[in-house]
Amino acid sequence: MKLYCSTDMEGVAGVSGWQQVDARTPHPEYELYRRYYTLEVAAAIEGARRAGAGDVLVNDSHGPMRNLLFDELPADIRVIFGNRKPYSMVQDADTGFDGAFFIGYHGGIGDPNAVLCHTYTPSVIYELRLNGAVCSEATINAALLGAYGVPLLMVTGDRTTVEGVQAQMPWVHGVIVKDSIGTLSANSLSPAAAQRAVANGAEQAIAKASAAKLFQLVAPIEMRITLAKTEQADYVAMIPDFERSGPREVRFVHNEIRTVFKAFVATFRLGALA
Amino acid sequence: MKIYVSADMEGTAGVCAWAQVDPSNTHEYPVYRRYMTREVRAAIDGARSAGGSEFLVNDSHWDMRNLLWDELPEDVRVISGARKPLSMAQGAEQRFDAAFFTGYHARIGEAGAVLAHTYSDATLYDVRVNGTPCTEALLNAAILGLYGTPVALVTGDRATIESVTAALPWVVGVAVKDAIGYFSANTLTPVAACAAIADGAREALAALPRAKPFTFTPPIELVIETAKTEQADFMELLPRVERIGGRAVRFRDDDYPTVFRAFLAAMRIGGAANLPA
Repeated sequence: MKLYCSTDMEGVAGVSGWQQVDARTPHPEYELYRRYYTLEVAAAIEGARRAGAGDVLVNDSHGPMRNLLFDELPADIRVIFGNRKPYSMVQDADTGFDGAFFIGYHGGIGDPNAVLCHTYTPSVIYELRLNGAVCSEATINAALLGAYGVPLLMVTGDRTTVEGVQAQMPWVHGVIVKDSIGTLSANSLSPAAAQRAVANGAEQAIAKASAAKLFQLVAPIEMRITLAKTEQADYVAMIPDFERSGPREVRFVHNEIRTVFKAFVATFRLGALA
Repeated sequence: MKIYVSADMEGTAGVCAWAQVDPSNTHEYPVYRRYMTREVRAAIDGARSAGGSEFLVNDSHWDMRNLLWDELPEDVRVISGARKPLSMAQGAEQRFDAAFFTGYHARIGEAGAVLAHTYSDATLYDVRVNGTPCTEALLNAAILGLYGTPVALVTGDRATIESVTAALPWVVGVAVKDAIGYFSANTLTPVAACAAIADGAREALAALPRAKPFTFTPPIELVIETAKTEQADFMELLPRVERIGGRAVRFRDDDYPTVFRAFLAAMRIGGAANLPA
């Protein structure tokens, strides 16, 4: 049983403000919460292994993507570290995994009652839709995993995130570590209680892995991206095969989710420069 | 006659350093933007005396709002401002009788050429279309050519003139300076340069019958070599952009404006790679 873990930070128990997860201008709180983040990841691995998981690959998927504290993790896992990966939060998921966990995930941009909700780059991406459906990071990432034949088995985060994922993928086991009150407040489990819940959830998720399905988008895949600002749309409309479908909207259609995913990454990279 | 003018700055007489052409420079730039504007004015005046009647000037340098209105005739139109989808060739989608490239410079990597670069020296190490290393002049000429407009005049340093006239032999070149190196030149004075440019513009319009619109032959292959590998990492994210080397990408299409837009998108996303990771 090979397990892939994409790990984010906003959905970790106790997190309710950007300072807690801001690695670029490190706030004293970041050092504290990167530890809670790492401990939730370690708990998931421990629980998964109780149910028979063997090889584990953890993709650090938050901010500059080098947040995990190695001292708090088992010595025998592999970790993807560092930024600017072409497949970002789901890099290297195409090498024969039996299932995937999304740990510390958060709601999509615009979700009400979702702590620190955003979809990749909030200064650029106002809304992402694939084949007409509004997508969170969990959705677009799961779609790439689905194309690789890897089912999503577990998601952890706030209630909005977990319920949002389960609405599209009812087979996913959810661990709710907090209830969001708004974008910047939550009623949360303690880190210790959250870690126990995540470990138990992981164990159950692996135990019922055979019932999980693949999340796959029907080709041709239509991606519509609404940008935060018109000047960003000016820029990203220059991307090959992109159509300017509105003053602050672009559209891209392709049969391959890999190409769509990379085009999405190109959009928020280029848009950030505008 | 309708004339299109794409106006750059590095090839203006007297210019031999970035400080002279950098809009954030408060000391030298204000002087040289005036000389840049006067060279544009000289080209317009010369053309008018040979039948030019309608002028569209595309400010094509840096943030593309350099030209001083006080130094220009009142009856020209000006394209001002950056981030234009066709950049230095913006506005070329209609047919003009002739195009002028003023203040142009040589391509990145050319020796003996003042401030030689191709769009972005921070990102682009080399740009080739169908195997030919391209100057900005050639990349822009192919947009104009597609809509039937021939380039008739280019002004800049001697290296620029020689490379442009090698590719487009009908173009009249006015060499306002001889480069000694990247940051030095033996130059005409601004006044003498303006007189030479006015004469050149007259000559260019007189020679117009042998000028031809320039186009690249499809299928068009664009190869970009980047200054750094991380820039190629970002360019490779773009649809249909292929990674062909550690610091090289390729894009192919039959439609040149599509290639040109992909080129600009690649250059800009490459620029995003220069930000902290």
